Amino acid sequence: MRIWTSEHVFNHPWETVATAAWRKYPNPHNTAVIGTDVVERRVVDGVLHTHRLVSSKWTLPRWASKLIGSPSVCYASEKSEVNPSTKQMVLKTNNLTFCRFIAVDETLLYTPHPTDPNKTLLKQEAVVTVQGVPLNSYMEDALTNKISVNAGKGRQAMEWVISKLNSEVQELKNSAVKSTDEILNQTMKSFDDISSKAKKSFDDIQNLRSSQSIPDF
Amino acid sequence: MNSIGTACNDLKKEYDTCFNTWFAEHFLKGNSDDSMCAPMLKIYKECVKKAMKERQIDVKEVEKDILGTENERKIPEQQGR
Repeated sequence: MRIWTSEHVFNHPWETVATAAWRKYPNPHNTAVIGTDVVERRVVDGVLHTHRLVSSKWTLPRWASKLIGSPSVCYASEKSEVNPSTKQMVLKTNNLTFCRFIAVDETLLYTPHPTDPNKTLLKQEAVVTVQGVPLNSYMEDALTNKISVNAGKGRQAMEWVISKLNSEVQELKNSAVKSTDEILNQTMKSFDDISSKAKKSFDDIQNLRSSQSIPDF
Repeated sequence: MNSIGTACNDLKKEYDTCFNTWFAEHFLKGNSDDSMCAPMLKIYKECVKKAMKERQIDVKEVEKDILGTENERKIPEQQGR
């Protein structure tokens, strides 16, 4: 078993990050995720409970696929709770397809930064367990490394979604169109021209990283 | 983002658009009445359940709680400790 943890601060208020978290996919950083579906969703005592099925294409090292096979699409179960009064968003994900040999359990917690309400703290934990496979500790290391890399991509993805949301809000302000219909249309439109914005945002992130020398994850 | 069932894609997009607006404009502002997108969610969910069945994804396994329950994988006890 390997446990991996990480903390990250987003320079955006909690509401922005929570909104972006629902729209994290698709993004140009985690192209492995190919589908998200709501299985169940309800509000209980002011808390939004959601259960989603996340479909992704995994690429394991070739030697690893030789040991456990390489399913083309993997499914994971993601359960989340959003409490707007305490400003907590927690997402717990565990994989389904690999359950026979490999268990990957991941928890993401978004809360307002304790000292700066304009920032959001992300606490992330992943537990990787491989059983019944030769070289299981190597497998666990390989997967934990992969999680580490993917977590960095996940943060970039969130920034990308947030910048997309902000530009949508700006567009709406500029056009001074306030009707719900227009908001819906704008949102639909943003799904459609994702590719052009993806390139722009990716360049922005690259520039940001090089100018502020943010370390590579 | 697509659905696992290509037949559900349009229903999903329609529902997601409604949900994103509801979440930011209503839920986060203290209004937890979720009837706004409920009809869309109902139709979309039915479509997803059907698609999962076709792909033999076990709905029961998806619905099972793992973390924080006895189903969570525990650290195996090691000999000699």
